[in-house]
Amino acid sequence: MKLVSNDIIILLVFIGGALVLSRLFAEIGKKFKLPVVLGELLVGILLGPTLIGKYYPDFFAHFFPVQGTAARIALDGITQLAVIMLLFVAGLEVQLQIVLKQGKTAVLTSLTSMIIPFGLGFVAAWFFPEFFNIGKNDKLVFGLFFGIAMAVSALPVIARILMDIGLYKTKVGMTIMAAAVFDDLIGWLAFSFVLSMMSIEHREISNVWESAGLILGFGLFMLIIGKRIINFALPWIQKHMSWPGGVLALCFGLGFLGAAFTESIGLHAILGAFIVGIAIGDSVHFREEARTIIHQFVMSIFAPLFFVSIGLKVNFVENFDLLLVLIVLFLAMICKIAGGFLGAWMGGMTRREALAVGFGLNARGVMEIILGTIAHDAGLIDNKMLVALIIMALLTSLISGPMMRRFVGGEAKIV
Amino acid sequence: MDYSKLKRRSSYPFETIGVAIAFSPRLDAILGEAKILADNFGAQLLLMHIGERTRTKEAKLDESFRKLGIDEKKTRVIWHEGNPVNTLLELCKLNIVDLLVVGALQKENMLKYYLGSVARKISRSAKCSVLLLTNPLKEGTRFKKLIVNGVENPKTIHTINTSVYFGKHMSAKFLTVATEVHQEGLAMTVANESTAGEASKLRKEFQEQELNKVHEIVTNIREREGIEISEKLIKGKPGYAIRQYAESKKSDLLVINSPDQNYGIIDRIFTHDMEYILEDLPSNVLIVHSRVSPK
Repeated sequence: MKLVSNDIIILLVFIGGALVLSRLFAEIGKKFKLPVVLGELLVGILLGPTLIGKYYPDFFAHFFPVQGTAARIALDGITQLAVIMLLFVAGLEVQLQIVLKQGKTAVLTSLTSMIIPFGLGFVAAWFFPEFFNIGKNDKLVFGLFFGIAMAVSALPVIARILMDIGLYKTKVGMTIMAAAVFDDLIGWLAFSFVLSMMSIEHREISNVWESAGLILGFGLFMLIIGKRIINFALPWIQKHMSWPGGVLALCFGLGFLGAAFTESIGLHAILGAFIVGIAIGDSVHFREEARTIIHQFVMSIFAPLFFVSIGLKVNFVENFDLLLVLIVLFLAMICKIAGGFLGAWMGGMTRREALAVGFGLNARGVMEIILGTIAHDAGLIDNKMLVALIIMALLTSLISGPMMRRFVGGEAKIV
Repeated sequence: MDYSKLKRRSSYPFETIGVAIAFSPRLDAILGEAKILADNFGAQLLLMHIGERTRTKEAKLDESFRKLGIDEKKTRVIWHEGNPVNTLLELCKLNIVDLLVVGALQKENMLKYYLGSVARKISRSAKCSVLLLTNPLKEGTRFKKLIVNGVENPKTIHTINTSVYFGKHMSAKFLTVATEVHQEGLAMTVANESTAGEASKLRKEFQEQELNKVHEIVTNIREREGIEISEKLIKGKPGYAIRQYAESKKSDLLVINSPDQNYGIIDRIFTHDMEYILEDLPSNVLIVHSRVSPK
């Protein structure tokens, strides 16, 4: 299939419209303290099969990339690129030093806020597969995914909330950040493992171990050898190449090469981008200006396209299952708040501080939406589950700030 | 073992100075440094060798004592066999050593860095202050320019006071309290949700908070006669930024807090704080163990 002039026009109209509209919606949402991603998702819902696609199908087919067209294939390529970039950016912020520096409380909180949600999610999926519309043969893989979905946190959302309410540099804030970093790291590594399990024929134990070994091996290689190469290359590039072009080319280039490598060895492309992101973000030569430019580029151009495209895939009204949404929301909140609370409390925090940690970690934001969308694209979850996860991600992000403020607003100790 | 005398013992004055000796080509230089330190601080010198005691080694030590004018009566020598790191640390605790002097390479190869050399391992886990000398001299190093890490930590005030004490006894001229500002997390929070004004306000607030903290620390230094004390805010990752700063300022001594917890290999893979300094020593380094809980 070839892109003809009409396909290019449709693609460009869609990209232009999606970028302008999602920014407008996001700015309006900001006035009401709503997350930017909500505006971007609403544009997708408005343009996709939920509204315009359903009520004005001819108009939709004329102006938007519909399934089976070359324009849609091109758009899918762009959204693939977007998700790889989003994971690369997520990797840039995984600074494990934060966990190592915060000591016992952070380590305990990181572990409990990962293990409890994961365990509860897995058990729920394992014992009630029919409720989640999962076949008995798929309950292991789905159970692992659902456990991870319950355990991830949204680092950027959490950082933003903590800065807004003045808790970032407090012990509560740093504990939340440390645990979120840890949850993100383990969550994405485990998710890559689950995705590789899906593609393994017969899912034999030896193949599963091979996948785990490859993930670990690639991670260690990048973080020990790769990081040293990056530390050597970055200062040279910053000195001899144009700024910021040289650094951006190296960062995105390595990110895409890492993604291509992991895809080629049977792991998902996101893993390569994520780990390369960690290695680059950890480099002492990686300037804050470069970090900001990459964030702005990805979050302002590719993130909106990705989140708008979710709305194009699913009819949010038809796939809204109130019971499923409530159960996913209940499970997600109870296990994450309990997990965060328990670790922080055992680590020596007061009950109020520990509750603030629990609610802080409860924000799922964009990370959950990305995770759900990749799982949906891989055929791991259906439309109803995707809608439930998105609603859960948005609601948990919305209540996180006010609840943290309620428990420790103005009284948290500075680290 | 009764270590009760060690608990809450102040990081200075230096009453006992321990020296790890290895009969390497740098032996005389290390002994020369140790003698001058002991003379200046009025401290007892305790030489520790972990390894076999042989006549050749004894003769070499006697010759070094004679050459450097070290008074054998004021100096104790301990010979002990065993694991170098654990034995040295145990001997330091038993003999209530206030300052342990160790010769250290400025930089080690990758494998040795990850596995850990004796000097680096001691730096990570000693229960007394440690002075790492990268280029020891028989005639003694002149510690003119001191840089102290002003990181926000309960130990820092003790570290600064110990630096001032060290500086006064070693005739230092300048002492700079340098505080690192690392705006971690700022990029992702301002990327898509802040106007240019909001982002710049956030950055400014971050910086001002740190500046006020370092200013408060420096204002509270009491005994500062004879040393010019200044404050400096440096941007970058904690540990790495101060290493670069000490290197660029050609400091004679970088003074830092002892680590809050035991550092392991994971801290070297995800390098942070003191590990950046141990990775590539920018100058001589004094790690002050103030015996204060970080909590």
